[in-house]
Amino acid sequence: MAESESAALHRRRFLKGMVVAGGATVVAPAAAQAQAPEKPTGNTSPPTAAARASEREHPPEADRLTTEKTGSDFMVEVCKTLNLDYMAACPGSTFRALQESFINYGQNKRPEWLTCMHEEVSVGMAHGYAKVAGKPMAAMVHGTVGTQHAAMGIYNAFCDRVPIIIFTGNAGALDERRPGVEWVHSVQDAASTVRDFVKWDDYPMSLQHFAESTVRGYTLACAQPPGPVFITADTKLQEEPLDEREQRKLKIPLLVTASQPAGDPNALREAAKMLVAAEAPVIIADRYARSQAAMDNLVRLAELLQAPVIDNRSRMNMPNTHYLCQSERAGGLIAQADCILSLEPVDLYGQLNVMRDQLERTVSPKSKKGVKVICISTRDLLVHSNYQDFQRYVGADINITADAQTTLPSLIEAVQREIASGGKNAIAMRGEKMRESYNGFADRARAEAALAWDATPISSARMYMELWEHLRKEDWALVSDSDFSSNWPHRLWPMEKHYRFIGGSGGYGVGYQPVAALGAALAHRDAGGRVVVSITGDGEFNMAPHTLWTAAHHGIPYLTVIQNNRAYHQEVMHVQRMANRHNRGLRNVPIGTMIDNPNIDYARIAQGYGAVGIGPINDPNDLSEAFRKGIAAVKAGQPALIDVVMQPR
Amino acid sequence: MKHLIVAVTGVMLAAGPAWAQTSGPAGNAENGKKLYAQVGCYQCHGLAGQGARMTGPRVSRTEFPFDGFLYQLRHPANQMPPYEAAVVSDQEAADLYAYLRQMPAPRDPNGIPLLKTER
Repeated sequence: MAESESAALHRRRFLKGMVVAGGATVVAPAAAQAQAPEKPTGNTSPPTAAARASEREHPPEADRLTTEKTGSDFMVEVCKTLNLDYMAACPGSTFRALQESFINYGQNKRPEWLTCMHEEVSVGMAHGYAKVAGKPMAAMVHGTVGTQHAAMGIYNAFCDRVPIIIFTGNAGALDERRPGVEWVHSVQDAASTVRDFVKWDDYPMSLQHFAESTVRGYTLACAQPPGPVFITADTKLQEEPLDEREQRKLKIPLLVTASQPAGDPNALREAAKMLVAAEAPVIIADRYARSQAAMDNLVRLAELLQAPVIDNRSRMNMPNTHYLCQSERAGGLIAQADCILSLEPVDLYGQLNVMRDQLERTVSPKSKKGVKVICISTRDLLVHSNYQDFQRYVGADINITADAQTTLPSLIEAVQREIASGGKNAIAMRGEKMRESYNGFADRARAEAALAWDATPISSARMYMELWEHLRKEDWALVSDSDFSSNWPHRLWPMEKHYRFIGGSGGYGVGYQPVAALGAALAHRDAGGRVVVSITGDGEFNMAPHTLWTAAHHGIPYLTVIQNNRAYHQEVMHVQRMANRHNRGLRNVPIGTMIDNPNIDYARIAQGYGAVGIGPINDPNDLSEAFRKGIAAVKAGQPALIDVVMQPR
Repeated sequence: MKHLIVAVTGVMLAAGPAWAQTSGPAGNAENGKKLYAQVGCYQCHGLAGQGARMTGPRVSRTEFPFDGFLYQLRHPANQMPPYEAAVVSDQEAADLYAYLRQMPAPRDPNGIPLLKTER
């Protein structure tokens, strides 16, 4: 075999031998040549195996140690044709050539390389970024171990239907692997760890293959429903020299923005008839709006029908300043509805039914018998088998498999035609009732917010309103959800623009919040310097406190408020529930669920990572000054953290 | 999951009673305050009994009759975990009830400048 090997292969092996053997073989090329044995003559006996091996390790022509261009440079060229502004990564040797090519050959521009301290941060950051920027960014994760680190972040993005372009490296050919760690970090099938929860993956076998798969991956990631895609860049492809002749053969496919799937006109006509004929129609918007235009369309449809909208807040769907935003009385509306239009539902079954979490689990419907359900969603276009994020099946009366955002203008037209043909008697009367209901929401919220106003630990309502007093003067964005703090911002702050809010994690993987906030803040920075706020539980924050270093290093300003209840509080309640169920008392419930003794000093942690750190704030009367300082720091371009010791929820 | 919790976390403790008012054992509010923390009421209902949207309704100054309160503890109609006598005795329930009843009255939101803010 040795005799048939190409000169190029000889050279590669020589280079590898130099690296693998470490200090013992790091010698000057001239010295290596001097040590090479003489070639055998025709009169001598055949070379021994040792001699052949020696010849392979030190071929006389193997003095080429550098090259001007490699496969990784071409990979960078491919990525530059995509609409990628950033590549987030925690460094790893399986993509060392790619990293070097991005920062040198690619001049570290579009995409710009961002340093993260955990692969879950790289991916989670891209998750938050995409929901604000409306386009994906890329993450590069180390082979095997880095992919394992990234897995939960990828799952969150998959469940939340968010596009991310994820690359990894892998030394596929065993004879190309350095002995030791490179074997441990190599796999047959790099995507197998995450295949259940990515939209698509590929392991290109050539540079042409890489180009096509990367462009295809970007297109697939962005096609509704979006999702993360996973591309493996083989280390041999990355590191091999690329000569001009070979490069001339390579073609990068053109990235074309595809239109998104719209609903069948016949089905929409039937849906419009059903909605206009209904006496108590209700619209539920979930993972619906990706733009301000989509929000505006939802308002238009709601006004046409004078139908209340329940915003489930997986996205910013409906301005809460509009009287038809009736999320506050979701239960009553669903109970009375005779027709429900569900837009991109996350869990339609859970919306229409309730299961008691008691020893015997029982289910009862929330809606009345005979309610008509219309569903417009891409949910059936991306369902995998293993992970059960698809929720329980609901058979809708009209099930339109389409992108709801793309479809809504057509539905509006269909509803307008139906109303014009005489079906609008009850519509105006409904509007008056909605206005009456809406007017009471704010008063109720204010009364509830007053209940623990002066309490210590600080109530969530007090914290949000002290923050609002400063935030209301700014162009702001909230990049955290508020389910664990009684939805105060949605009840007490005006949320009228799409960029004000981005929903939650999708997969409920703890650790999403600090990392998604980082990416969202990056996109908001680029959009024009909005003041970004993330309210983060202490358990969440502890999964990735080092996001603050990435923020400080790359100049990404945002305010993190630690909702510090010194516990994994959701789990406190779960364990308490089990202790009650088993009649064993509650004395031991704090074991394994509390984050105290010692209490963590989050302000000092922030300072250690180069951010502004304030707190702990124990007295509600100290909140205002803390927020003033924190927002001033953010406006000056710094990441800042305020530790607020708070009630559980 | 959040829909489940939100939707059926009952309003029973805060809502008007369906039961006739009956007198229970005399309660010790001071002990009730300790129990409120010890048996974890505050985890869902807040340290001031203010309630929380995802976890449990307001319980401060409950207008629920004691019988109904006790029935809710023993046989919760919603997602609330059951508290049987082995965990909270009838006397302890009375202490808790006394504590809830004498919690401070909430402030008028119109007297709090930050809550006057227009949405």
